[in-house]
Amino acid sequence: MRTKISVLATFAACAVFSAVDARAAVDSQTKEALDQYCVTCHNARLKTGGLVLDTASLEHVAADPGTWEKVVRKLRLGVMPPLGARRPDAATYDRLISSLEGELDAASVAHPYPGRPVLHRLNRAEYSNAIRDLLGLHVDVSSLLPPDDSAYGFDNVADVLGSSPALLQAYLGAARKISTIAVGDARVGVNRDTYTARQDLSQDQHLEGLPPGTQGGLAATHTFPVDGEYEFQLRLWRTNLSAIRGLQDPHQVEIALDGERILLATIGGNDDLVHLQQNPTTTSDDLEAKRLRVRVHVKAGSRTVTAAFLEETPWTLETMRLQPFLRDFSNPFAAEGAPHVQSLSVQGPYNVEPVGRPPSATLFVCRPGANVTEASCARRIVTTIARRAYRRPLEPSEVDGLVAFYKEGRRTGGSFDAGVEFALRRVLASPSFVFRPEKEPETVALATPYRIGEYELASRLSFFLWSSIPDDELLRVAAAGTLSKPEILRTQVTRMLADPKSSALVENFAGQWLQLRNLRGITPNPETYPDFDDNLRQAFRTEAELFFGSVIHEDRSVLDLMTASDTFVNERLAKQYGIPDVFGSYFRRVTLADDARRGLLGKGAVLLVTSHATTTSPVRRGKFILENILGSPPPPPPPDVPALKEPAPGAAPRTMREQMEQHRTIPGCAGCHKTMDPLGFALENFDIDARWRTKNVGGFALDASDVMPDGTRIDGVVGLRQALLRRPEVFVQTLAEKLLVYAVGRGLTPEDMAAVRGIVRSARGQNYKFSSLVNAIVSSVPFQMRMKELGSES
Amino acid sequence: MFISKLAIPRRTFLRGVGASLALPLLDAMIPAATAFAKTASRPMRTGFMYIPHGADMASWTPAASGADFELSPTLKVLEPLRDSLVVVTNLKRAGGVAEMHAAASSGWLSGAVPKHTEGEDYRIGTTIDQLLARQIGQASQFPSIEFATEDYTGYVGGCTPGYACAYQNTISWATPTTPLPMEINPRTAFERLFGDGGSAASRRRIAEEDRSILDSIAGEARKLQGGLGVHDRTRVADYLDHVREIERRIQTAETQHTTALSVIDKPLGIPDAFEEHAALMFDLLTMALQSEQTRVFTFMMSREGSQRTFGEIGVADPWHVVSHHGDQAEKVARAAKINALCVGLFARFIEKLKNTPDGDGTLLDHSLMFYGSGMGNSNVHATDPLPMLAMGGGLGKGNRHVVLPAKTEIGNLWLSVANRFGASLEKFGESTGTVDLF
Repeated sequence: MRTKISVLATFAACAVFSAVDARAAVDSQTKEALDQYCVTCHNARLKTGGLVLDTASLEHVAADPGTWEKVVRKLRLGVMPPLGARRPDAATYDRLISSLEGELDAASVAHPYPGRPVLHRLNRAEYSNAIRDLLGLHVDVSSLLPPDDSAYGFDNVADVLGSSPALLQAYLGAARKISTIAVGDARVGVNRDTYTARQDLSQDQHLEGLPPGTQGGLAATHTFPVDGEYEFQLRLWRTNLSAIRGLQDPHQVEIALDGERILLATIGGNDDLVHLQQNPTTTSDDLEAKRLRVRVHVKAGSRTVTAAFLEETPWTLETMRLQPFLRDFSNPFAAEGAPHVQSLSVQGPYNVEPVGRPPSATLFVCRPGANVTEASCARRIVTTIARRAYRRPLEPSEVDGLVAFYKEGRRTGGSFDAGVEFALRRVLASPSFVFRPEKEPETVALATPYRIGEYELASRLSFFLWSSIPDDELLRVAAAGTLSKPEILRTQVTRMLADPKSSALVENFAGQWLQLRNLRGITPNPETYPDFDDNLRQAFRTEAELFFGSVIHEDRSVLDLMTASDTFVNERLAKQYGIPDVFGSYFRRVTLADDARRGLLGKGAVLLVTSHATTTSPVRRGKFILENILGSPPPPPPPDVPALKEPAPGAAPRTMREQMEQHRTIPGCAGCHKTMDPLGFALENFDIDARWRTKNVGGFALDASDVMPDGTRIDGVVGLRQALLRRPEVFVQTLAEKLLVYAVGRGLTPEDMAAVRGIVRSARGQNYKFSSLVNAIVSSVPFQMRMKELGSES
Repeated sequence: MFISKLAIPRRTFLRGVGASLALPLLDAMIPAATAFAKTASRPMRTGFMYIPHGADMASWTPAASGADFELSPTLKVLEPLRDSLVVVTNLKRAGGVAEMHAAASSGWLSGAVPKHTEGEDYRIGTTIDQLLARQIGQASQFPSIEFATEDYTGYVGGCTPGYACAYQNTISWATPTTPLPMEINPRTAFERLFGDGGSAASRRRIAEEDRSILDSIAGEARKLQGGLGVHDRTRVADYLDHVREIERRIQTAETQHTTALSVIDKPLGIPDAFEEHAALMFDLLTMALQSEQTRVFTFMMSREGSQRTFGEIGVADPWHVVSHHGDQAEKVARAAKINALCVGLFARFIEKLKNTPDGDGTLLDHSLMFYGSGMGNSNVHATDPLPMLAMGGGLGKGNRHVVLPAKTEIGNLWLSVANRFGASLEKFGESTGTVDLF
């Protein structure tokens, strides 16, 4: 396969050979270096690695970006020529890189390449944020829309955001439900939503986000569609015999709505215990039905619901101190210990009343009254909401169409609000809302890049930085036709990054780049890691999010992601990291005394997400670094990998390293594992759960030393980090590539690499501040341009 | 949406009680050698119900083979339905025991062995239900539906080590690399099948409103298409196809208006009790089959590795723990109790099909249902013999215990089923031949 590509590429290179605009050939020194150090293996006869460099034209590097970008990447990474082969001196090496890059970049200036355009659809996160910004509503979209596929590491890649009948049907349903909630339609039926705590959440201490003076429990944001009565049912964890845990002692539990208590109940103590012993099968159900259920009147809108235990008496704390592990329970059979909140259901509405105030704060920009007719007010409402939703001005015929829906709804529903509801439903179901169409002017020529429109640029910006629709300010600038002016674009970027909505970059970009979203599916083996609980899992994620967030919000250098001596911890996480004197559930910034813990390589989230359930995985960790720090993902393993030999029964268990060394002796494996494994081994002092260790699970002393592919000796994480940052631009370029994929929602091709290098170069002058990368990305050709392509349509 | 008043009282429908109707034999309707798809006056419906952790085969397998055999303790509850029952013994799942639970659930309907990987490059085989969905499902609103009862997201260590969770999270694969997610929430399932809205009247109103919205957005999409590049135009063309598809579904629903169909109230959410949850899913399946929303379904009644407990029948340990009973009589008995409970739920569903009129017969006459597991003796993750029941008029003749040669690949059974539905395949999964079932 690879051979085929390079042969084709070579052919393409020859075809362009006689082109008129032939650029000056690379200098003779470069050619010499290539001949001397590369072509001995990568030639038409040996075809090592499927790469043929002797016939590839050096005079026309730019005609074959596929081949030469690959060469540049290997050189930048320092993995070629391989260990043991002759290497040029550093100066020659660097000259070779910059000469090749210079050629590729110059060609891209002459022929800018904006990439293949694909019609985007809003993914689930974007849809949810758009609803928030349009209507001021918090809606749990995960129950309305199917999950999105992802590609190139992100779920906003247009290629895989296709449509299907099921999706369209889901959009119709979501549009109806959301518009019903937005206006507070009394016709809404009774529903039940259940919020659940994970079983491995320790609930013997205060949890962040829950009322002060409580411990354990859960919090949820629930949208109440109308004014009316709602029933809250709390359920507690049961043992395997279906008994509520912890009934030995009395515990007080409360349910609160926006901080206001709506239920306070006592469970447990002598009477309950006796009752449980007499009626083991029914007591817990009875207890939940009688004491943990409450029906109250609630006003429409999005509110925070919490359920938690009141802080326990010292007596109980005394018992808890006997608990040997940080996790407060792991034995599903144990009836003793702290009770746990298992779930909280909200069911309603009952006895619906006409709404005092519609739940959507932003929908009704006017109200019919003495000076405003229903018709003119309706027209104003639909025009405003549709302009925001479609992210462009509306044509008069479109407004008329929406007004017709208003009228129909007004007629059948019998009220002004019902009319607005129907028109809103039409807007939310619109392809102009759920797709992000970008026009192709009829006049543009084939294969000639052109600038996208102002409104389209506004959308690209807001979906990149906010994962949402543009706000009125952005639309205003687009309307003025000035958004694409560099200084105005810069002002807008600054404003948008300062907006809290930019935390979407943490949630969606960092959440996927650093695989934080995968954390929830990872659970270390409880027998080997009895301390591990959901509190720690959440703390890992929060730390990584706050850390990445600080780079955005404080506009730090992105190199801080690798080197920063500060991080964010709460008590649980500080214990894990061995940081003294941190108490309480809230996160605060601390300065790390230990160099090993600095930056991403010391973060629990990264270390856990790259581990197996029972052991660390140098391979996974190495792969993670190659992919996300060095930007050079290894190819998937060959299909016919022989299994690693199991140690003979009775033989001493081998160390991880001994097992992995086997890989490097198998020819099909060696190539990649020589690159991957040393990176992962350097992190071996970090256990699965990010604790520092000097021995592995089997009790063997750990050896975190190894030799990098370029010959650098490293020992442990500190040395690894220094080696990785010897060429800091490699890390910055990786981040820039990932950000660009995320920004334009497509995978990158070799032709894009010139733009990526341009982004890195332009950020370098500003010490790679986060904003400098973002500014360079939004000014780049792939972000600002499109190109007309030959299609197969007809 | 397309709900009319009933031919049978709602309660009767729901509970599936009342006098059973005489069963007309389907043989009369289908010449033996003809595929179902081509002949039946009412279409054949088919479903696959999965239980994890196999069964205690000693209390499952009937002692005698052939007709009029005595039902085993676990299957006793099927006595009133034995005329439509075939017990199939000696099937084996593909591969060995090393793949454990992952192979049991993923291999059941694929007859294949899962690729050893925890990554996204998982691979097994297209499952029989999906093959039939292509064969007979296209005429209905949903070519197939996939249900389950267990939310696996909060599990601790819930997947077989070394194998992707996808192998255990579904039993249905549209292609060898496309696992189909299974719906566990009866409310969401209900809305997908029958539309939003609490009452039949409001569902009909919503469908009509949706139709005018679809009409309007189709116009908008066509206009939008004009200004786009070639690739994007193709995408919008796909979208327009989907608009037409949804319009077709609404229309089909309206023409089915005359079908005697009762619809239960829209479920509020996921019931707490397993039995209640499973029964609700079976109710939804019955309605979906009756109204021809679908002709093919899979229902994973519980998941391999399930930690569910069954306090109501005195089994307090988690199912998976019970299933590793170490061959101790007292523990084996507990596993058998759970088996019987699940067969009971299945029996109630079959009874309901039997009590639901369909054309000139009953829904059961026009059904071919399979119930089983991808594991035999769960204590050792045994690959064989697997527990397997087949029921419904689609079998031709019931009241049989078919004992196959030992270790007959389960692929053989699915190959025969596929061809019975007119697929003309030569191999299915790891099949080595066919079985004589019909």
